[in-house]
Amino acid sequence: MKVNTKFIKEVKKYGAFDISACFNCGNCTAVCPLSKEDSSFPRKMIRYAQVGAEDKIESSLEPWMCYYCGECSDTCPRQAYPGEFMMSLRRYLISRYDATGLSKFFYMNSWAQNILVIGIFLVSLIFFISYNGDFQELAAKIELAFPAYVTLAIFMYVFTMYKKTILDKSKKFLFSFDFSNIKETLIHGLTQKNFSGCSETDWTRWIAHLLVMSGYTLTLIISNLHLLEPLKKHYGLLDITTPLVFYAAFGIIAGGFVMMGRRFLKKIQSSKFSHPTDWLFVAMLFLIGISTLTTYILNMAMGPDAEAVAISYKINIAIEVAWIIIIVPFTKWIHIFFRPMAIYLYNLKKEKQLA
Amino acid sequence: MEENKIYEKEHTINENYRQKPKVAVYVCHCGGNISDVVDVKKVAEELSKYHDVAISREYAFMCSSTGQDYIVEDIQKNGINRVVIAACSPALHELTFRGALQRAGLNPYLYEHVNIREQVSWVHKNDKEGATKKAISLVKAGVEKVLRQDPLNSIRVEAVKTVAVIGGGVSGMRAALSVAKNGLNAVIIEKSDKLGGKLNRSGNVYPTGEKAISVAENLSKEVLSSDKIKVYFNSEITFVSGYVGNFQINVKRKNGEYEKIKAGAIIIATGFDNYKPYEGEYGYGLNKFVLTLPEFIEALEKSGPGKFNYNGKDINSVSFIHCVGSRQIDGIDKPGKNGKINEYCSRVCCTSLINTANNLKTKYPDVEVFDIYTDIRTYGMDHESYYKEASKNDVIFFRRPLEERPSVEFDGAKIKIKTKDVLTMNEDMEIETDMVVLGVGMVPNDITDLVEYMKLPKSSDGFLQEVHPKLRPVEVANNGIFIAGTAQGPMDILESLQASNTAAVKAAALLASGDIPLDPFVAVVDEDKCTGCEKCPKECSYSGALTMIEKEVNGKKKKVAYVNAALCKGCGACAAVCEPRAINVAGWSLDQFDAMVEAIAKE
Ligand SMILES: Cc1cc2nc3c(=O)[nH]c(=O)nc-3n(C[C@H](O)[C@H](O)[C@H](O)COP(=O)(O)OP(=O)(O)OC[C@H]3O[C@@H](n4cnc5c(N)ncnc54)[C@H](O)[C@@H]3O)c2cc1C
Ligand code: SF4
Ligand code: SF4
Repeated sequence: MKVNTKFIKEVKKYGAFDISACFNCGNCTAVCPLSKEDSSFPRKMIRYAQVGAEDKIESSLEPWMCYYCGECSDTCPRQAYPGEFMMSLRRYLISRYDATGLSKFFYMNSWAQNILVIGIFLVSLIFFISYNGDFQELAAKIELAFPAYVTLAIFMYVFTMYKKTILDKSKKFLFSFDFSNIKETLIHGLTQKNFSGCSETDWTRWIAHLLVMSGYTLTLIISNLHLLEPLKKHYGLLDITTPLVFYAAFGIIAGGFVMMGRRFLKKIQSSKFSHPTDWLFVAMLFLIGISTLTTYILNMAMGPDAEAVAISYKINIAIEVAWIIIIVPFTKWIHIFFRPMAIYLYNLKKEKQLA
Repeated sequence: MEENKIYEKEHTINENYRQKPKVAVYVCHCGGNISDVVDVKKVAEELSKYHDVAISREYAFMCSSTGQDYIVEDIQKNGINRVVIAACSPALHELTFRGALQRAGLNPYLYEHVNIREQVSWVHKNDKEGATKKAISLVKAGVEKVLRQDPLNSIRVEAVKTVAVIGGGVSGMRAALSVAKNGLNAVIIEKSDKLGGKLNRSGNVYPTGEKAISVAENLSKEVLSSDKIKVYFNSEITFVSGYVGNFQINVKRKNGEYEKIKAGAIIIATGFDNYKPYEGEYGYGLNKFVLTLPEFIEALEKSGPGKFNYNGKDINSVSFIHCVGSRQIDGIDKPGKNGKINEYCSRVCCTSLINTANNLKTKYPDVEVFDIYTDIRTYGMDHESYYKEASKNDVIFFRRPLEERPSVEFDGAKIKIKTKDVLTMNEDMEIETDMVVLGVGMVPNDITDLVEYMKLPKSSDGFLQEVHPKLRPVEVANNGIFIAGTAQGPMDILESLQASNTAAVKAAALLASGDIPLDPFVAVVDEDKCTGCEKCPKECSYSGALTMIEKEVNGKKKKVAYVNAALCKGCGACAAVCEPRAINVAGWSLDQFDAMVEAIAKE
């Protein structure tokens, strides 16, 4: 294997500034509750990065097995923050799996992402406000375009990930139809179950994460299936959408609050280091939750024809547009897909005995 | 050669040993260690019936103060004039009991120690009867021996209050300064034209970061300004003679003059040599970009600001290889010219290499640095921080398996190092580099002549060997000779200085009182019996210890053997060849052995 010193410098652009301090003692791997014999991290990943084994890293599923309990960073005798390194690897991998190169550009230039998000939001908002037609109709079209766009993005990621981890090695398309594998993949995807693998399970984090996740997924469902028509209908307490919207908004706001607070206090390993894109991510989530809820409550109070409802709804959709276009495909948000996907591929590798 | 006075220190106070012998026998239980196996009552009882034995006792702990009081009382009140104690090994308590005899006013050498613990109870646990029998015959032999024992007096030699220090590196300088501080004179004999040894080099030293040269200069200023220290530069030692308290060192100066230096003690601080790689060892000698660590330190110092330039080439990456010439393994590494491999760890190279890597990174931050080791031994106080700093400086470390060696290959202008790397799951790694630095270790300096002159003991590594690494760490077996610093083995500066201080204090303590006590167990000549046959001096291995002299004996001039008590080691080689039994080792005469053998064989 040829040693390549450039690689670690590249990874460090995604965080993990302290990782050179690692002297490969392996304490991190020893304490990591999620590391397994045939899927060993973080030390192995750190080593590959140190010697520049780019191929090995890109074909690894290990980064997605890490849930950032932070126990490794607490234990590291060299203060190399291996947990943060794993996080940075995920950012790195997302940018590598992204064929457009935009993820990388955004990580390197977080200001550009901020400007773009704000820009798209403002342009959309101005356009929506000046729109003379039936906005509810337009919103329906926009919201129905989201799933197509996101599916396309996800497909691109999934394919690159599949190619780097499986196809490049096996040279042929392999799939697993094993029921238990599919079940495990789904359960992981829905519950982020491995959090509880962290030996001192950080329940606050898990609950916050689950709240945000479920709230957000619900929001996605509500908007992508275009379940809300606040400019047409007058919603009341007994409508089926009411508990859905309230739950979704509450989940995002409450969970997001906890996450932001912890990032701010930096007490917990997983919250010590924040990439600027992490902030944008959480802030945007927040805004989606708030704007959806505001629109809904205004509608309940004033009915679908009130000017306030229309404005609130337009803001809500504008935020969603910026979010879907920029944040969803090009930040670590996408890791909610990678994690279960990694579990599936890991089991597939095992099943087909791919080293 | 003019000799210092040798005289005996009188021990004898009580003259009653000339009277009819009255032997006291004491059998010790050693708190069960002996009495659990040996029937001590029976031994004492048997011995009480033996000829010339006046008192025979057994007691739980003879070494206790009550036990010792028995001895004193029996001598003072019961007229005992010889003592046998059957107990543990003499190494443990011989001196204790000699002290008891002395306190009671008896010559301390009129005493025989019989070891019935290590030699009887511990080795015959399953045969109590046989053990008791063996103990009885050994104690009887002890009685026979002590009956033929003469009172002895310890020997003292007058000492020259000067310490000669050979070698003027940091170790030699520190030793001389400590000697001077203790009120004695010191002479440094240095073969080169300056003090400081290996520290006359560029670069800095761990763990202080001072310039090596300024460490040397600070010490040498102090040495040269001391009126108690004399330095002989450009001096080659041509011979060393004499003995503790009275050595004579013959020195040849550069101008061809000879000089004789007298000293009571000698400290050897001749230092070490850098390991020299053989041609082709990791490419050394085949490519000018393969350097040893000392060569690299020079090169780094010489290169100007901006880019690291060596031999007209810009150096963008440097690889350090540890353990070159150290920690070698039989069958894997090529033996040196002496046919031996260096199995030891040189101890300073790890920290020194890493310190140098950090210096390189500080001066040229863009140079890539690789480091191939098998163990990082940054063992000293704060040395680990160098290692940590190196990691933070992006030095990339590779750990080769213990029994594998990296290979250095040349491909045009490129240098490639190939090594298995434990840290990367034992994969084969290939490192492209512009320069290779070999972490050469320490090898013993060539001091064959000094070893010859002073009969110095060397360890299997070829460095000088101390008596005991913990109990007597700076003494060699030869009386009055000490070692300081890296002449003894790999040490860094701090350790060298500590060893040197210890050696200096030991030498000063030895010479402080002006005379030196020696054991009295040396050869003595019965001049009446000596026929002057000259056989014995030929057997003696200690030059000057045994000579033939012309002397008047009983009114007649005759040739007799003469022993220099300060040089004699009491080995007994002379006694073995003397037909008329005219020469004997005091306290161990052939007559005594005869009687002991007879006593044992009688049973
Ligand atoms: C590459 C390298 C880097 C090092 N870096 C460090 C460091 O950073 N920090 C640190 O603490 N230690 C370091 N060391 C160790 C340090 O150099 C030694 O501990 C120290 O120099 C030992 O001093 P010394 O007086 O025992 O021996 P030496 O320095 O070898 O001095 C011996 C002296 O004796 C003289 N001599 C030899 N034979 C005779 C003779 N027959 N008659 C008369 N004179 C004689 C020599 O001329 C010399 O002057 C390093 C060693 C090496 C090899
Ligand atoms: S990251 Fe820390 S704990 Fe893990 S191997 Fe490196 S030094 Fe050891
Ligand atoms: S100090 Fe380090 S480089 Fe030197 S011999 Fe020992 S282990 Fe090898």
